[in-house]
Amino acid sequence: MKFLSMSKWFMVVLCMSGVLLQYGCAFKDIDKRLFVSAIGIDPAENVENGYKVTLKVALPFGAIKDSERPSFAYLSREGQSIGEAIRMLETHVDKVLELGHMKTIIVHEKLLRDDMQSFMDYFIRRGDIQLIAYVAGARPSAETILKVEPNTEAPASVALINFFGATANDSPYVVTTYLFQLRRDILADGINPVLPLIETNAGGDELIVNNSVVVDGREDPAVLSTIETKYFNSLLKDSTGFTYLVKEGSLKLLLNFSQSKMTYQFVPSKGSGAPRAIDMHIVMKGTIGEANKDLSIAKLDDYNSLASKDVKQRVMHFLTKMQEENLDPFGFGLRYRATRLHTEDIFTTWQKAYPDIEFKVTVDVKLQGTGSIE
Amino acid sequence: MDEATCHIEPPAYFTRLATRLEPTADIVKKTLKSRDRVVHLLYLKSVVDMMQLQEIVVKPFYEMSAEQNFAEYIQSLPYETKMPTGDEEVLIEITKGNVFVMIDKQITLLELKIVAANAVQEAIMEPTIHGPQLGLSESIETNINVIRQRYHKPSLIIEPMQLEDASNRDIALIYDEERVKPQLLKIIRKRILTLEVELVQGSSDLQYYMNNKKYSLFPTSLLTERPDRILHNMAVGKVIILVDGSPHAIIAPTTFFDFMLSMEDAYYSFWVVSLIRFLRYAGLFTCIMLPSIYVGVTSYTPEVLRTELALTVAASRIGVPYPSFIEVFFMLIFIELLTEASMRLPNSISATATTVGGLILGTAAVEAALTSNIMVIVVSLVAISTFVIPISEMNYAVRVCRFLLLLYTTAFGLAGMVLGMLGLLLYLVNKDSFSEPYLRMFWKNRQEELKADDS
Repeated sequence: MKFLSMSKWFMVVLCMSGVLLQYGCAFKDIDKRLFVSAIGIDPAENVENGYKVTLKVALPFGAIKDSERPSFAYLSREGQSIGEAIRMLETHVDKVLELGHMKTIIVHEKLLRDDMQSFMDYFIRRGDIQLIAYVAGARPSAETILKVEPNTEAPASVALINFFGATANDSPYVVTTYLFQLRRDILADGINPVLPLIETNAGGDELIVNNSVVVDGREDPAVLSTIETKYFNSLLKDSTGFTYLVKEGSLKLLLNFSQSKMTYQFVPSKGSGAPRAIDMHIVMKGTIGEANKDLSIAKLDDYNSLASKDVKQRVMHFLTKMQEENLDPFGFGLRYRATRLHTEDIFTTWQKAYPDIEFKVTVDVKLQGTGSIE
Repeated sequence: MDEATCHIEPPAYFTRLATRLEPTADIVKKTLKSRDRVVHLLYLKSVVDMMQLQEIVVKPFYEMSAEQNFAEYIQSLPYETKMPTGDEEVLIEITKGNVFVMIDKQITLLELKIVAANAVQEAIMEPTIHGPQLGLSESIETNINVIRQRYHKPSLIIEPMQLEDASNRDIALIYDEERVKPQLLKIIRKRILTLEVELVQGSSDLQYYMNNKKYSLFPTSLLTERPDRILHNMAVGKVIILVDGSPHAIIAPTTFFDFMLSMEDAYYSFWVVSLIRFLRYAGLFTCIMLPSIYVGVTSYTPEVLRTELALTVAASRIGVPYPSFIEVFFMLIFIELLTEASMRLPNSISATATTVGGLILGTAAVEAALTSNIMVIVVSLVAISTFVIPISEMNYAVRVCRFLLLLYTTAFGLAGMVLGMLGLLLYLVNKDSFSEPYLRMFWKNRQEELKADDS
């Protein structure tokens, strides 16, 4: 092996360090980047069939510990497509827009239709956007929601992110939908994606997430009420923290459920084999959180059956309402397709059967105590 | 000396040796004479123990009646060393502290040397809470004694060798004959005998010369001052090399994992040791990769961080004029300077240097917006975790590695860092220490593996 002479080595090292100083496009220091924390999409006002894109940019600043409020910058632009609008927005700022930390996509309520796949495509294809970003609907508009800066928001954090995914807020009223999940649900037959709906109060300083939207082909998406959202969440996602008020005569009980589990099976009809009914079994476990009378542990079974009857009624109501609207947020159809032998017309069989399907619900409430020590 | 002794001519051989040594001031030529008996002594008074000489040679000479008796007496002494052939070799023995005794035709070398630095020193480089607190001394005899005292087996072999350099230093290979691989011994002997160096100062540079490569980063043999480490390694079939005048022993061959072993690992319970080892390896990876991770993450892929952290890091870099890699490079140089400075200073001052350098300069640099405070955290973490590596040679090697890795990351981002680590791994896999693979694991436990090698 031949070694270079000293002076040649020196030249090589000098050249290499010279090259390092010419750092190019991939090398961008963190303080030369702007972190987009959320994107809002509204229908365009001036461009036909276009979109208005609003970016919420989190600004870093000096001493985070000393500052009381987070600071954000908002950028808006209308364009024929989302990608185009974002490209144009890049020319509005002095730094590079970094979408790697963009974790919430907020879509105007009006845009939550079946064709939302066409504009959501941009987010799927762009490599630096994470597929675990949350997607949510917005009322009255995405821009309004983005511009809300809640009082509880801490510096260097984004309140919109904390709502979802049970990292901070795990209320059963909050539905979480990820970007990958939304795409999958839109493209799959037999399930309707459900998105949380973000609203704000009159003062514009609070974010309120307790309704949800079932996305379907129709112009006006079906909005689940607060109670329906709670049922949907705890039945499908086993959300905890479910509270339930039972009234029986003068007795009022507030039950706290810590566990809920739903299992169901299809009951085929005798002749065609098409599904005739869905046999659903729900088990809920919890304690009594509040009561207006003295309770006895001996009467726990009574409270159980009382609660079971009541919950059953509500669940039935919710299921039949969805059935009447011909919506399937639970993905019964998907499950049906997945668990039957595949034939060409399996989905049409299901579509025909679903409007008339019968729900047989049994609810088993298991209270584990009266919530107090006798 | 009286008149009578003056006219006795010393034998020709004796004179020849004496004239070779002549110009030096500490040479002593002495002729003892009593009645018709004559004994010639030749020694260097600076290395010979005068009291012993008086007790063992001079006094009996005058107390014994016949010359024959005295010659036999001298030959029976336990201090006798083997007489080498050739004038040069005899002279070397004399310079080592042997007394050349000539009685008529009988010549004997008596080892009556005095070694000033034969006190066993405290183990400073590898301190442990438990285990022996004393290390080796600067005298090879004392060191052999220290090892023998802890390892009583007839199979413990001490093989003396002499370096062919300017110093003619005594070295000794120490090994357990039953456990050592014959092939390994051959390699080490050959390596030592074929050394072509001017002067070997001690075990540290002998270790460097034995490495056999001019440009090498990782050490292939281990320097230690701890008798327990010597025994631990000897018991698994390694060879210990002692150099006279050096308080460190060389252990060869060594694998990478030997350098990550502290002797304290043997003194604690399993879970404690597991935790300590985990910490040590975590420290190793931290100090190699953390500066690169900082550059890669902040300048190439900030999406790796959590949003909050990304904003905090971005905020802390506001106003820092240089790109992240120059910042990291400067701070690393700074911390290396600090480490180097505090190592060279006397103990009492080095604490001050660290405080001034680390705390005051660090804070001031952040205040002046020359560097971000996250960077200061990174650099201090790197500095601390470097010291977790128990052996200092590995410590230095790792410190060099992180600069190389930093270079890669600066050019190619986190992918470059992975590439750099891969390169490092390839290099280590390719390396061997005295024909043992450098990354070989389970040296101690896999007896089958050892056997498989021998066949």
